[in-house]
Amino acid sequence: MEAHSTLRLERSGMLTLSDMAKYPFIPEAAEYIRRLDFKIENLLEDDYAPILSRAEKRIIDALTTNPPKVGYNPREYGEDIEIISFPVAIVLVSALANENVKRRYALAEAKRAYELLREENWEKVIEVARRFGWRIRAANERIGSVKFDFALNFIDYLRNISSFHEKDWKLVNRPVLKGEVYLSKQDVARLLQEEIQRYIEAKIDPKVRSILPEEILKHLERLRQTCAEKIRESPVEDISSLNSIGVVGDAFPPCIRQLYEAAQSGRHISHIGRFTLTSFLIKVGMDKNMIVDLFRKSADFNERMTRYQIEHIAGERGSGTKYTPPKCDTLQTHGLCPGANDLCKKIKHPLAYYLRSARSLKKKFRG
Amino acid sequence: MDNQTFIREMFSEFYNKNIDRVEIPKSIESREFGFTLFKESTMIRHKGFMRAEDLKEFIKKIVPSNVYYSSAYYSMPEAKMDEKGWLGSDLFFDIDADHIPTECNKQHDMWICRVCGLKGRGVPPTICPRCGNLGFDEKGNIIGYRQETWPCEICLETTRMETIKLIDILTSDLGFSISEIRCAFSGHRGYHVQIEIDEVLKLDSMARKEIIDYVTGTGIDARFHGLEEISHSGARILVGPGLHDFGWRGRIARGTYEFLLKATAKDLRGLGLRKEVVENLLANRDMILESWKASGPWNMIKGLGLRGWEKIVQRGIQFQSAKVDTVVTVDIHRLIRLPGTLHGKTGLLKISFPASEIETFDPLKEAVAFKGGEARVYVEESPEFRIGEEVFGPFKEQTVNLPISAAVFLACKDAGKVISYNV
Repeated sequence: MEAHSTLRLERSGMLTLSDMAKYPFIPEAAEYIRRLDFKIENLLEDDYAPILSRAEKRIIDALTTNPPKVGYNPREYGEDIEIISFPVAIVLVSALANENVKRRYALAEAKRAYELLREENWEKVIEVARRFGWRIRAANERIGSVKFDFALNFIDYLRNISSFHEKDWKLVNRPVLKGEVYLSKQDVARLLQEEIQRYIEAKIDPKVRSILPEEILKHLERLRQTCAEKIRESPVEDISSLNSIGVVGDAFPPCIRQLYEAAQSGRHISHIGRFTLTSFLIKVGMDKNMIVDLFRKSADFNERMTRYQIEHIAGERGSGTKYTPPKCDTLQTHGLCPGANDLCKKIKHPLAYYLRSARSLKKKFRG
Repeated sequence: MDNQTFIREMFSEFYNKNIDRVEIPKSIESREFGFTLFKESTMIRHKGFMRAEDLKEFIKKIVPSNVYYSSAYYSMPEAKMDEKGWLGSDLFFDIDADHIPTECNKQHDMWICRVCGLKGRGVPPTICPRCGNLGFDEKGNIIGYRQETWPCEICLETTRMETIKLIDILTSDLGFSISEIRCAFSGHRGYHVQIEIDEVLKLDSMARKEIIDYVTGTGIDARFHGLEEISHSGARILVGPGLHDFGWRGRIARGTYEFLLKATAKDLRGLGLRKEVVENLLANRDMILESWKASGPWNMIKGLGLRGWEKIVQRGIQFQSAKVDTVVTVDIHRLIRLPGTLHGKTGLLKISFPASEIETFDPLKEAVAFKGGEARVYVEESPEFRIGEEVFGPFKEQTVNLPISAAVFLACKDAGKVISYNV
């Protein structure tokens, strides 16, 4: 198996121009652009107008689709346009200097890559994964009734599941042997999406604004106006400052604190995580509009849906049931417990933690 | 003479003669060190040492009751916590009898209520039967109970078994080589397991949580390991994992086998299985165990479906999981005891050894720090204990002559008073 796959890889080790158009973040694409001797100032020339327009389209796609996804249409744009417009879009997003846009754009590009990767043959998937230093090989292993095409080093796996909380992504629910996790192509593509998203986020550096020509900045202003609604940053309360509205943020148990901070910084939270956080915040008396705002930074935020879900959990819709957050056991099972502290060991429910902790904090304030 | 003076004197003498037994951690210049002293109750933290010699001199000078270092590497180990500049952290596991309920703790472990002083044996109660101490004062501060625990042979053997399970999972499943794994006896009631290779240093807390969940079998859903209902020539049948499968799949099967081998009617009823099912299971035990050679027992018991098997399998998982303290592994700023230093609760050394020696390592022999000498000790109360090859006690309100190592041990445990000694 080992020797066989090495041989196949040597034959397919090169990624073509069309691959670069699909995966413009790979080093080959950057090298290709370097050889074309393309400069950012060139964008102002008429010949390059389609590149600038494609770059803007990439960003608009990211900000206006839900869930965010950049389109891929090889018939509409030539390979060169597709390849060069990617770093141009990165420069434009950087210059917009907005966390929402940055995260959403990175997610949208990563999603585009994910959907393309799902359709690739395994050699191609492995080639792209190795561009990120993944230790991955073809496996062709049947375990029970399931066939696994890939074996990935478990540390590379762990690095990319931190935003997933679904049970089936937990390492303990995966076949693991000799340091490798056995995966389907679908899974590998999904994990690569995470890697790609992080990679792109890291490439977006607000400092580039200062080196951009005036003319490009004007373009940027128009872009900003087009997507004004999406670009708006929303203020989110810090945990400690919640006190001013009667919610004792400092008394939050570690699990809720972690979820709150994840929401605050726009990191992905699983369904049960959102449910836990929302039902908790409702129970401790946080205003629903503030809860909506808390989720605003999430890359796939949808205001109508979020509001509906919050009202549902509060018992204002549907059956009228007012939901309570899950107890500690359940949170542990779903991987939402970051580890118990001393007080955690005395209670079985996050609300019990809050009540105890809030009581003692209030007493402390009163002296 | 008071115990503390005696212990400190012994510790001081040990470090003066044996300072080279102190093991210097990899990249000492990037580690934070912490020390507790005999007199003050606060810990000296945020200490850094550029060279091994500086650390050794410091230990000799201050004579600490405990020495710790960070599993983490920092660019500025002496800075405040959030300014240290975290560079990475070893992968660290703590297996301590405190976290594993053993049968013997009722005999040798003692709790003392911090409010009224009531003493009892075994695990401390949630509410003190005498004064009603809830573990909290009215301000919500944790008071709880002072615990006196003993490093008994049964407890140590239990932790060794858990350590063996852990090492097996780390090598067979996670692919670490046995030579990359360092073990240590903690000097009290358990073992430490440590991996220092570059690959693991950058793992964040979330990733470490996944590793700890893996070794403890937390959050397993057997449906992801082959336990499912399938349709087979028109009929619904159950299939499940086999004994020789790899990863948790095989562990689930082996654990389930182990559980069913020993399970009593009470165990099975406790899972909420119906009476007929339990009787059926017990009546066919031999056949069930035999069935693992073929496709497993999943369809053998009438009335036992997927739900029932899921409950049984969860018990099986308990047999296979390694009982590791979850908090320690996930904490990437943790201070851990430095190997080659004395444990303030026992006077025994934390002593490291290659993981391959875990089966034969004798902690109560290898960790003995004080050789020779004798002391006269009044022992208030002590269960039987072993130091080296010799077994002492049980003692109750009597004065005995003991080797220094045993005297230090009892003094550290505050179970006796040293009257006189010569080294």
